[in-house]
Amino acid sequence: MINRRHFLTTVAIGTASAAALAACGSPAPSQTGSAENPVTINYTWWGNDDRAERTRKAIALFEEKNKDIKVNGNFTDFAGYWQKRATEAAGGGLPDVMQWDLSYLRDYGQRNQLLDLGTVKIDTSAFEKSLLPSGQIKGKTYGIPTSTNAFAVYYDPAKLATLGIAEPDGSWTYKDFNAFLTEVGAKGNGTLFGSTDYTSVWWMFNIWLRQSNIEAFTEDGKLGFTKDDLKKWWNLTGELRGTSAVVSEERVTQLAPKSPFGSNVTATEVTWDNFMAGYLGDSGAKELKLVPVPSDDPDNLGLFLKPSMLMVASAKTKNKDAAARFIDFMVNDPQVGQIFKTSRGVPASKTQRDGTTFEGTDKLVVDYEKSIEQYLKDAPEPPIVGFGTLEASFKRVSSDLNYGKVTIDGAADAWFKEAEDLIKQNA
Amino acid sequence: MTQSPTLSRRASSSAPKPQRTPRQLKSKRSGADARAGYTFLLPWLLGFIALTVGPMISSLYLSFTNYNLFEPPKWIGLDNYATLFQDERFLQSVGVTLSYVVFGTPLKLAAALAVAMLLNSKRKGQGFYRSAFYAPSLIGASVSIAIVWKAMFGDSGPVDQGLSFFGINLGGWVGNPSMTMPMMILLTVWQFGAPMVIFLAGLKQIPADLYEAASMDGAGPVRKFINITWPMLSPVIFFNLLMETIHAFQIFASAYIISNGEGGPAGSTLFYTLYLYLRGFSDFRMGYASAMAWLLVIVVGIITLIFFKTSKSWVHYSGDSK
Repeated sequence: MINRRHFLTTVAIGTASAAALAACGSPAPSQTGSAENPVTINYTWWGNDDRAERTRKAIALFEEKNKDIKVNGNFTDFAGYWQKRATEAAGGGLPDVMQWDLSYLRDYGQRNQLLDLGTVKIDTSAFEKSLLPSGQIKGKTYGIPTSTNAFAVYYDPAKLATLGIAEPDGSWTYKDFNAFLTEVGAKGNGTLFGSTDYTSVWWMFNIWLRQSNIEAFTEDGKLGFTKDDLKKWWNLTGELRGTSAVVSEERVTQLAPKSPFGSNVTATEVTWDNFMAGYLGDSGAKELKLVPVPSDDPDNLGLFLKPSMLMVASAKTKNKDAAARFIDFMVNDPQVGQIFKTSRGVPASKTQRDGTTFEGTDKLVVDYEKSIEQYLKDAPEPPIVGFGTLEASFKRVSSDLNYGKVTIDGAADAWFKEAEDLIKQNA
Repeated sequence: MTQSPTLSRRASSSAPKPQRTPRQLKSKRSGADARAGYTFLLPWLLGFIALTVGPMISSLYLSFTNYNLFEPPKWIGLDNYATLFQDERFLQSVGVTLSYVVFGTPLKLAAALAVAMLLNSKRKGQGFYRSAFYAPSLIGASVSIAIVWKAMFGDSGPVDQGLSFFGINLGGWVGNPSMTMPMMILLTVWQFGAPMVIFLAGLKQIPADLYEAASMDGAGPVRKFINITWPMLSPVIFFNLLMETIHAFQIFASAYIISNGEGGPAGSTLFYTLYLYLRGFSDFRMGYASAMAWLLVIVVGIITLIFFKTSKSWVHYSGDSK
């Protein structure tokens, strides 16, 4: 039977098993290059054209300062990124250096796919001590944060002005916030909506839990919250769904991969503060502002600085030293900070932060992180193995909820079933 | 051909004999032919064993294991197959795929046959029309077409605007769970070129005198179609039906692109192969994905078998007594 899909799957699996066998050999010694005969390392990242352009500049600068190393750059969007890494990991051919996300650190770190960066020379003296553990698993450092980001409510001041709505100051309860979204939706008259349903964002849920002093995951890798917590969470916007306070899921899907906020369909969005450059580019707005997320406890905003991105190396890289030098350069060099500004988040290393001038919207992001400093708590540890899957299914189940395909109870049941199955699977 | 090696061995063992019969000479030559044949076959055979049979066997093994790509597979027996039927997303993917096969395939074949009959007559510029209708199926499976399709059916895309001109306001189809399946079916129907070409070749084989005789007897176009075209074309219809059904089960690329690789909105484009892929490469459940792949092979096999069994009653080959 001709069955091309199946054929492709089997080829992939066959390659995988062959590679698994091949991977049992002894590790190769690190190669060294020279200016005449440089070693080549592969570097991959996710992002848009803006980031590609900045990364290209950073790589050129690195090659100029390190004549014995050539860097081969390659990028995709976020969704395709992880499927590609999975295939490469199965084939034993992960790129030497990679941009990484906290969500997937355990999946690969715990399964010996990433290099223990404690074994190579990377300078972390300029980092906040509280930030480094988020790249560590069981005492081993698998990722170095490039930068930090925090959760925020974005809004477009110009849009609020035309509607005659006062700008928020960020000291609001969920009730205040919902009332604000409803007002925007009502005055927006069908063309401008309040926001995207904020209960469909995992990290916002995580922050809400932390506002009640609940950690999403326990230390032994189980869920730290109950089904009732989740139902309560989705009930927060229960009355907003289907009104102009939140944009319909149909529109959200139509507009993907751009966000409704970036497409000028909503006046606000709840997300990470380093999306500024992307939103400005997408929406063409002159200025966007940031305020803290709502909380029913004014002393506990549940906020934290997350490494917005990490730099990791493949466990199987043949060029450990070159990889380490590149990572060190990308996280510490002041000129690299100057290139990226806040587009990766606020630089994590002090040398990079001090060497960078932040102006205009970049300054807004830095100022926002300064303004919430007193509320910040320790960043959560790298989430459980398989967290990427859970985050994706949280989004999917929330979307079904917004389509009216499931009830809140059904959605909570569906997500818990998947989560429990996944935790059992990876135990 | 399978006999040749033995024959040739016998021929060479009788080599000391000075006299050879013509028969022995002939078999020696056919033995050499066979060797040459196998030599030429070797690259394909090696590829077939290494790239098809080998991986298929290993995927069959993996389907009985828990395998996350990184750690050695753990044997769990039939667990993957058992869990499949409690997995709501799996059942959803089966439903989505079946409705696509059941509605998409007949519509596509009907379009292919209708256009093939139009293009069968002698008219000016027929060559141009044939290429024009065939073209979509050449590029149809490509990523770019799926992207164009998505834009066409998107919010205020050409389809939305065209329909609102007639007072029909459906909005964009891409974000509407009840409109994505019609959209996917339209996409496959539009790619009718390949079966159309085969139908065209089949139509050319029908002797013109049959139609002439029928005309003499006063048969109209419908009668001619029912009594001549359909039975004479039935082997070709059968072939196309079989190939297109199998093909429809394997839809992947367009669904992947149109739904951003998620099978949305609300799972309405969660095709079987897309879910299989997500299970394997997003959730690292390779054993589960392998079980799904084997189940698909088995189901497609059974459907093919049913087609062949039932074909006896409606497919007519020339020289058949029926």
